[in-house]
Amino acid sequence: MTTTRCYLANDTSSRAAGAERLAEAWSGRPEIQLIRTSSRGAFFLEPMVERDTPKGREAWFNVAPDDLPLIVGGVGGTPVAEIPFLQQQTRFTFANFGMTEPLALDEYQSRGGLKGLAAARSLSPEAIVEELRISRLRGRGGAAFPVWKKWQVAQQTKSEQKYVVANADEGDAGTYCDRMIMEGDPFRLIEGMFICARAIGATRGYIYCRYEYPAAARAMRFAIQKAREEDLLDCDDYPFDLEVVIGAGSYVCGEETALLESLEGRRGVVLAKPPYPAESGLYGKPTIVSNVLTFATIPSILARGGAWHASLGTEDSRGTMALQLGGRVKQPGLVEIPFGLTLRDVLDRFGGGMAPGSRFKAVQVGGPLGSLFPESKLDIPVCYDAFAKAGAILGHGGIVAYDDETNMVELARHFMAFTADESCGKCTPCRIGSVRGREILEHIQAGEGTAESLNLLRELGETMKATSLCALGGRASYPVLTAMEHFPNEFRSKLSAFSSQQ
Amino acid sequence: MTTRHKTQLAETLKTGRPVPPDKPNILKTLLTVQSTLGHVPANVISQIAQVLGVTDAQVAGVLSYYPDLRTQSPGRHLIRVCTGESCTANHGGLVLRAIQDCVRNVIGDSAQSERFTVERMSCAGNCAVSPTVMIDGDFCGRVSPSDVSSLLERYR
Ligand SMILES: Cc1cc2nc3c(=O)[nH]c(=O)nc-3n(C[C@H](O)[C@H](O)[C@H](O)COP(=O)(O)O)c2cc1C
Ligand code: FES
Repeated sequence: MTTTRCYLANDTSSRAAGAERLAEAWSGRPEIQLIRTSSRGAFFLEPMVERDTPKGREAWFNVAPDDLPLIVGGVGGTPVAEIPFLQQQTRFTFANFGMTEPLALDEYQSRGGLKGLAAARSLSPEAIVEELRISRLRGRGGAAFPVWKKWQVAQQTKSEQKYVVANADEGDAGTYCDRMIMEGDPFRLIEGMFICARAIGATRGYIYCRYEYPAAARAMRFAIQKAREEDLLDCDDYPFDLEVVIGAGSYVCGEETALLESLEGRRGVVLAKPPYPAESGLYGKPTIVSNVLTFATIPSILARGGAWHASLGTEDSRGTMALQLGGRVKQPGLVEIPFGLTLRDVLDRFGGGMAPGSRFKAVQVGGPLGSLFPESKLDIPVCYDAFAKAGAILGHGGIVAYDDETNMVELARHFMAFTADESCGKCTPCRIGSVRGREILEHIQAGEGTAESLNLLRELGETMKATSLCALGGRASYPVLTAMEHFPNEFRSKLSAFSSQQ
Repeated sequence: MTTRHKTQLAETLKTGRPVPPDKPNILKTLLTVQSTLGHVPANVISQIAQVLGVTDAQVAGVLSYYPDLRTQSPGRHLIRVCTGESCTANHGGLVLRAIQDCVRNVIGDSAQSERFTVERMSCAGNCAVSPTVMIDGDFCGRVSPSDVSSLLERYR
């Protein structure tokens, strides 16, 4: 009997969707050999099984154990190149996904990995920063700050010790691309961090990984060990070492100063800036804290040149963005495209509309600190510039669609309760304001609110925006205020009859 | 704490003791203790503080700050139900209720038992196959209320 080589993703979400059940059911079957790869990110098709054909990979979708004869017989597969969800994407950072075994360094290299590092090795630290300036890359963690500016500060700050820290706290609900990178292409993150280390003169790096991502932490540790063994981290007598550090479930620890506090083992509370971490960060030394996706974008920029990166996207948002679709869309998954497509197009072309039987009501972009968009606001281009103009944020690229069963008052309460739970307690507007906000919304829910409650919520939101120490308090009111703005009747109809008549 | 736990803890703290110039790291130590004992009992705070050369208050402060550090021992199986936005939009609330009902039926009226502890969690990063339930570190996706009893059967 011949054995058919097939590919099955080993990513957490693919396993959760049933990949593990397939692997178990088929283990020991002589007709099939399973190669466990990263996931393409078309999660609505997972578990998806692929095999090689003379014309490229073919795939079977939502596979059940009984489908084995079809796959082995080559019956009913779809060419991967013809899957619209994937075909319409522009994949650079996620180009390897679905193709390689995540922990195989040789595969990473054979698909262009380490070319960015090779380019960086031939450049001076200043020239690396210059390349990033030309690329116009902005941080993907939420604040969208120009990467080169941070690097330049860290580079120019004199210190015998500097650090590079990857922010893998990925706390925004609806986001999972950092997890995918760490599980699916860990050497890319290592390469990006190492390039940064060379540019600023750092010899130690940390990956601050949230507690909820055990598989990502395992993959990163394995990849780091492998990189060490292959002397990848020690070339040109430039010593660099990396360590994975696990967080413990605090959302605010994604904020860079809180993250560094946590990395030192303390309570993860936010510190006032300046000083910025690039001047004085971990243990008081210059530290670059960047998001995992940001670091993972850097190898391609060095390999292809900053100008290549700057040629993609819109005026103030260059390159591609990893959007993560979730909620009630029909086709949830990872979408890497250049900035600029409208939100409506993203939802239609990639999301495939709403899940069967549900109607669109609103979409939350940018996690708990982002904004709600109703149907009438979907023509906004997905890029930092347009979102900033609309008072919204793209954040880490999470897009969660809600259907018409969604109760907006409850959703608003959920967001305020989240902030109340997660506030680090350092500044009063966030610590007290979020609790008051939650209470007001609970009053409204209980039918005890008055028109005054809505005014109070607005006023509270404005105060929190203006006076909070970090964006948790500063942006916590956005989902609430945008819900009130776009669905006013839902709030009004909950107010006590007495006051609404007045 | 059982004697076995005491030896395990002593062993953990011995290997976890910071070697200069490494600075004592309270969070890291607590996570290591938790992975050994399953939780961090309040009565080991002083011992940890002593080993790290910090105050009891500093250790207690870190222990109480982080949601993933637990001072109570959980049941044999820890069930965490995601209440993040994507899971909620996909009726994760019904899954949570089904789990609570099921656990109650199995064990009596408390949702906390020797066999199961049920908790809510915020986004698990598994949104594309939501709703998500995490049991002992295993992720389950697209969970519907009707799956719950057979799912829990697998965890005795
Ligand atoms: C409450 C809060 C939570 C945050 N969570 C994250 C996070 O989970 N991941 C992340 O990369 N950045 C997060 N950030 C942004 C970081 O403070 C920081 O701007 C970012 O890590 C810098 O990386 P970048 O330049 O690559 O965007 C958060 C910010 C705030 C205020
Ligand atoms: S919202 Fe539940 S996994 Fe993200």
